[in-house]
Amino acid sequence: MSTLHILSHSPFSDGRFSSCLPLLGDEDALLLSGDAVYALQPHTAPHQQLNTLTSSIALFALEEDVSARHLPAWPARVKLVDYPDFVALCCHYDRVNTWL
Amino acid sequence: MKFVIALYAPPQAPSSRRTLRFAEALLAGGHEITRLFLYQDGIYNAASTQVVPQDEVDLSHEWRQFIQRHQLEGVVCIAAALRRGVLDVPEAQRHARTASCLAEGWTLSGLGQLHEAIQQADRLICFGGP
Amino acid sequence: MNRSLLIICRQSPWSSLQAREMLDIALTGGAFDLPLALLFLDDAVLQLLPEQQPSLLQQKDLTANLQALPLFGIEQLYAARRSLTERGLDELSLGLPVQVLDDPELKQLISQYDQVITL
Repeated sequence: MSTLHILSHSPFSDGRFSSCLPLLGDEDALLLSGDAVYALQPHTAPHQQLNTLTSSIALFALEEDVSARHLPAWPARVKLVDYPDFVALCCHYDRVNTWL
Repeated sequence: MKFVIALYAPPQAPSSRRTLRFAEALLAGGHEITRLFLYQDGIYNAASTQVVPQDEVDLSHEWRQFIQRHQLEGVVCIAAALRRGVLDVPEAQRHARTASCLAEGWTLSGLGQLHEAIQQADRLICFGGP
Repeated sequence: MNRSLLIICRQSPWSSLQAREMLDIALTGGAFDLPLALLFLDDAVLQLLPEQQPSLLQQKDLTANLQALPLFGIEQLYAARRSLTERGLDELSLGLPVQVLDDPELKQLISQYDQVITL
């Protein structure tokens, strides 16, 4: 069964990002929301860690959070999603695990 | 699909607003919300006493409108609410407290309601943190 | 058949209400006979140190409630090896009988449950 993992804490000040990544299964997906979108910042360790994830793991970021923060760029494999997309992701993956 | 939505963060947290936006998209997409469940600091979304500056989002007020508009079941964990000082009228009387502030549309109940909803729904989604 | 739930706790025992409120979810589910498992990850493994004395902090003993988990039918208890090692805990000297898992085993564990809550 596949899991959509959701993060919202900054990867720089909080340990959830580092704890979550080793637990992502090959069929899983990761949605970055809130301050977790800072993991998309180029030339950072979190950005690098995202790039080295198995290619089958789908990566998403909530568009409003990326745009509000005016992030300059993000890896090509990260798809920006709106709320209807977010809902669709929750239906597609078998379960949703938010790192509260 | 049927969803149970559990919120663990207070109304000031961005995740609370995100929850409401998600819930709106859920219903707009033709899905059902089996239950809304507030736990931990999420219970503050059901308080009626916040005074929010006029140029800011009054999320507790928006939640009330959302629940009423869509006739949803909004449950607040009673244990979490009581220890944080959000009481309804019966609980305020029971514990001899001077005020009750549970907003209309929300009901105090136990964690069993969360488990029951998880059993009934297709998906559980939790929101919390920033 | 009932949907199964994996509760992943990440909270240290005495720093907030979170560990206690996570346990309340587990105990309530157990009281309803639901198929539940508990995973101690990150700082939550600190709940597993034996012989803690929270009364010195005027707090209720959460670890005593952990001992009650099997009485509520919750016997699937797990801890992350990486979290134990990072925090200098000896997996043979823990206060609760848990199965210690490596990361690949943790991925497997998560995929076996219908729903997951990570607190």
